[in-house]
Amino acid sequence: MTGREMFRELLATFPGKAGVVMLVILIGLSIYAAVRFPLDWGRNEWSDPARWSDNPKSAPPAWVNLLPGTDRLGTTKLAASTPTDVSPSGNGEVRTYRLPITFDADEPPTFVSLSVAAVTYYSRPPILTVSLARPDETEVVLYRQVVRGPREGEVAPFQRFRQAPLRVVLNNESTAIANMADFFRDTYGADLHQTTVRNSMNRALFGRPDPNDPDGLVLMPGEYVFNLRVSFTDARDSLESVQFVVAGSVFGLMGTDALGRDLAQALLFGLPIALIIGISASVITTSIGATLGVISGYAGGRTDMVIQRFADIVANVPLLPLLIFFVFVVGSNLYLIILFLVAFSWPGLTILLRSMVLQMRTGQLIESATTLGASRWRIMYRHIFPHVAPYVFAQMIFFAPAAILAEASLSFLGLGDPSIPTWGQILENGFRTGAVFLGYWWWVIPPGVLIIITAVTFMFLALGMEPVVNPRLRRVR
Amino acid sequence: MSFARPLALRAITLIGVLLVVLLLLVVTLGATGFSDRLLEATIGEEVRGLRTSLSQSRTFGGNVEALDEAVEVRRAELVEFYDLDQHWARRLPKTVLRVLTLDLGEARNLKSFSGSRRVSDIVLDRLPNTALLLTTSLVITAIIGLIAGVRLSTRIGSKIDRIVSYFSAVSFATPAWWLGILMILIFAFKFGLLPSGGMYSTPPPEGGFLRFLDLLKHAILPVLTLVLVSIGPYIYSVRTMTMNVAQEDHVAMARAKGMPEGIVTRRHILRVAAPPIVTGLILGLAGSLGGSILVETIFNWQGMGRLYFEAVSGGAPDEGVIVALTFVFTLLYVAARFILEVLYIVLDPRVRYT
Repeated sequence: MTGREMFRELLATFPGKAGVVMLVILIGLSIYAAVRFPLDWGRNEWSDPARWSDNPKSAPPAWVNLLPGTDRLGTTKLAASTPTDVSPSGNGEVRTYRLPITFDADEPPTFVSLSVAAVTYYSRPPILTVSLARPDETEVVLYRQVVRGPREGEVAPFQRFRQAPLRVVLNNESTAIANMADFFRDTYGADLHQTTVRNSMNRALFGRPDPNDPDGLVLMPGEYVFNLRVSFTDARDSLESVQFVVAGSVFGLMGTDALGRDLAQALLFGLPIALIIGISASVITTSIGATLGVISGYAGGRTDMVIQRFADIVANVPLLPLLIFFVFVVGSNLYLIILFLVAFSWPGLTILLRSMVLQMRTGQLIESATTLGASRWRIMYRHIFPHVAPYVFAQMIFFAPAAILAEASLSFLGLGDPSIPTWGQILENGFRTGAVFLGYWWWVIPPGVLIIITAVTFMFLALGMEPVVNPRLRRVR
Repeated sequence: MSFARPLALRAITLIGVLLVVLLLLVVTLGATGFSDRLLEATIGEEVRGLRTSLSQSRTFGGNVEALDEAVEVRRAELVEFYDLDQHWARRLPKTVLRVLTLDLGEARNLKSFSGSRRVSDIVLDRLPNTALLLTTSLVITAIIGLIAGVRLSTRIGSKIDRIVSYFSAVSFATPAWWLGILMILIFAFKFGLLPSGGMYSTPPPEGGFLRFLDLLKHAILPVLTLVLVSIGPYIYSVRTMTMNVAQEDHVAMARAKGMPEGIVTRRHILRVAAPPIVTGLILGLAGSLGGSILVETIFNWQGMGRLYFEAVSGGAPDEGVIVALTFVFTLLYVAARFILEVLYIVLDPRVRYT
């Protein structure tokens, strides 16, 4: 049977068709992911909590709002790199960054933060002032900071917040809380205790005092504007970017984990990794298994006996405990994990192929090839292998999900490669931090579903291959 | 007709497996420097114990130098006793013996149920729990798989057959631990029907029967999870094997003779298909063992699988426990294999004549 015939036979069945379609989709998404993420994404971004600090923690995906009866605040990131207006003041100028936001949710944000990146100045340190203009025509100054002055021996230009941006969590900042309490007293005549404001600062930012409310504060929907004013004294002074984050309680397509990491990104990153694990492990395993099986069956004698004894023993080893042991002792590197998987998985095919080749060896086909003077290797390669190729191919497809599942299991036990986040590791993280027991379904269900979809794709292909491998089924269908 | 020869052959292979695993363990431990660390930990433990007891004794009262000297002498003795001063390869036979007898010193963090810190106590304490979970789910899987698979083989290509094919694909593709998490989310948290983990309620109920019922209640979810992930492929393999036999000429002959369908199925199909069905069970064994490790972890079932999780996690992993676990799991696997092999030899007369 030629490759094209095999493919046609595969497409003739429903599982075969479904498997091919799903595989094409998965490969397409993998290519997108491979382009989108650098290889060291896991080490440099995923494992760096600072990168995710502006996301809400343990937030379900944003689309839960589509469910009836749920209306939760999404996360808004307001960013600017050029000032909205510039006005001269004294011997310098004040640059204002105005970032408006419409607030109309029934719940306060989970946190409000400000980030300022890369400030450069030449003579006097600039002053940063943060204020919030509110829908009732009032404005509250929340926070003020003078950028750190020149250090001893430092020469202009002075660069600040370049490696790590200045990040202020406004709802935790004590000066902002004190300012807010003062503002409430001056504007509304409400004498709220500072602790009250501290405890519900998020509500205070987007609300007004109300003595009838048990909290003392009610949310006030409308147009808010975050203002950052920066006073510069030199025309060359600059500020790269400013960002205000109003974090809600839902986030993105897939939600976030306990560190605020975007799960959608990790899930996408995990796809090509899973495919690479499955495909590379299965290709290597079947190559070794098939080669040894054909040699063992055709060569016979002592070679056969050695290979078969060896295969017998390796095939009878309990896989997972030994995988755990080796990965634990030698180290959890993804390549090593694949290597161990291969080392314990090849014998099944070897034993199967040997028995098939044994039957074929005495057949007329091989006899005539031998009579024509074909070499042993040529006979194995040209006359035996094509006959067993469909089996080998089917086994190759069948083994891919097994490899993916084995890696996921190891990751789940905490033995995954720490520099490469896989689906199993996301789940492990969720299980270990108690996400399961807190009911964080968006964290634990999607990785499992993706593992199943990927594995089922290969299973469908294997099911579709069955009529190719087992002609009896072709008769039945 | 003799059982002895094939049985001995199987036993030799399985003992070979055990030896090879043992050798792999020990060589890996030695080559990576793990065995040195293990021994050092053992010696350190003993020396520390000696120091405490000596410092309390009157002889050394206050004489720190003499105490240090005595401890140092003891340490040197121990190093010699354990051959720590020699290359790991020379220590190989001794290490093999130590693993074989589970003489792996004391665990760092873990304790057995009775509070002992000896690795062998910790691991052996958990063995019955693992065996209980594994056997129960294996027996249930085998019975359901057999009945369903044989039924299906008479209606190949029907709608139900196709549904089961897809189910078995999904069942094979589902990670046991993920299904376990799902079970906890649904049955324990959403509906609050069953406990989410552990083996007994706290405090455990008094009385043998109540205690047993409590155990049963805690076992439902783990067993269900294990059965669900392993049953699909098993039904499918029984169905395919039975179908292959059902298409043989001798079955057509039996039907042509006018035999009742029940007898045809039992005597002419099942009897012939029995050995490969047992083979299917043998092949699924390793998977079930792996599955049980993960399911125990999820459901906090106090077996050896959960122990793996506990030994791997945490700041200081318990190496000795992991070595012991790997060996005992291999032992358990080999024992289960042997039982099934005996069954196979009983079922397949051809093996006895060769």
